[in-house]
Amino acid sequence: MGDRARWEPGPDRPRAVDAPHADDADVLLRAVARGDESAFARLYDLVAARVFGLVRRVLRDPAQAEEVTQEVLVEIWRTAARFDPTRGSATSWMFTIAHRRAVDRVRAEQAAADRVRRAAASAADTPYDEVVERATARLEQQQVRHCLDALTELQREAITLAYYGGYTYREVAELLDAGLPTVKTRMRDGLIRLRDCLGVSVA
Amino acid sequence: MTDDIHTLAGAYALDAVNDIERAAFTRHVAGCESCAQEVAELRATAARLADATWSAPPPGMRAAVLARATRTRQEAPGARERDRTAVAAAQRRWRRWTAAAVAAGIIAVGGAAASYAIQEQRVRDERAAAEEARAEAAAIQDVLRAPDATLRRHAASTSGTVTVVDAPSRDAAVVLLDALPTPGAHKAYQLWLGHGGAMTSAGVLAAGQTSALIPRLGNADAVGVSLEPAGGSAQPTDVVGLVALT
Repeated sequence: MGDRARWEPGPDRPRAVDAPHADDADVLLRAVARGDESAFARLYDLVAARVFGLVRRVLRDPAQAEEVTQEVLVEIWRTAARFDPTRGSATSWMFTIAHRRAVDRVRAEQAAADRVRRAAASAADTPYDEVVERATARLEQQQVRHCLDALTELQREAITLAYYGGYTYREVAELLDAGLPTVKTRMRDGLIRLRDCLGVSVA
Repeated sequence: MTDDIHTLAGAYALDAVNDIERAAFTRHVAGCESCAQEVAELRATAARLADATWSAPPPGMRAAVLARATRTRQEAPGARERDRTAVAAAQRRWRRWTAAAVAAGIIAVGGAAASYAIQEQRVRDERAAAEEARAEAAAIQDVLRAPDATLRRHAASTSGTVTVVDAPSRDAAVVLLDALPTPGAHKAYQLWLGHGGAMTSAGVLAAGQTSALIPRLGNADAVGVSLEPAGGSAQPTDVVGLVALT
């Protein structure tokens, strides 16, 4: 079976292609909500590298990224009881917190105009190639990349600038020299296309 | 107008909205089950983008995080339900103004004011600028949230719309200029408070500024916008919009 076929979502998808360790994270997070510190240590081992990678990618400053990552992980410990499995997986819940905290920090720290200038200077880079330190050939990375490649250029740029760059849609519109309604729409229909490509579903 | 705010679903899932838009959208979702489903899926999709961002954390971090967790009291189970109740209550409070405010594009005001303030003070300490911008955005949000906030829209005499949200309980108003012509060289828009026909200046807008907070309304009965020489005038010369507050 070719790689392409394995990326297609479907009920008979090989288990390894699904969101990595989704069940483990769900079970661990529920144990953490009951105050289980050893479960929290195992959860750390499961997600810390991705949380740190994500926060570092948005902030671009390793020292700040370390600080924010610690805050995020402690917040996960503190608020684990809020996790609602009917609203998505545990990993989704944790990365939503991590992304939000990273974005809050980057917006608080840096004047909008400066960030727009900085992004414009590096706009030629393919955003999702920038800070991947470990060039591992992990299947889920390939899957995300494959699905990003399937988007239109504007959808992909709008989504990666917002998610990895921490920009608001207004800043993205400015960076891409596109209208606000267009950028809003491309973010939404691009995510819908990604959702379908990745086979993301919420109970 | 529901459709209008719902187009923010993608930007919201990517955290690409400002605080005011986030608050408005959260309330929109709280009253719409199918929207909640879509947003949950788009958030889960956005979270998958983190799959591509592995980076080995610094060596001491694991011990530090676990030690902090040991010292940190957890929220009790049930916080989730209380959370939802709070959202529902907030939604009831907001319902009155949100629809109208969203229709008028008011939700954009906080972001615009914040970026304006940041640009203006770029030469100063960035941290202080961000602080001021946040304070300005918070004050605007406070006016928009006030239980007695009233939204009034008037077509400008040139083109575009002047929108005023006034909240007597906050003794403040928010003014939004939507699609007015750019003032041109050596010209600027100036805001005015009217008291029985007499006008007092409420500040001159910088080039590109389209929104402002008027912090002290007093017993003003109107808000005016005029086109003036850059730097402003003592009395309005060319009034392009006058919004009565009664």
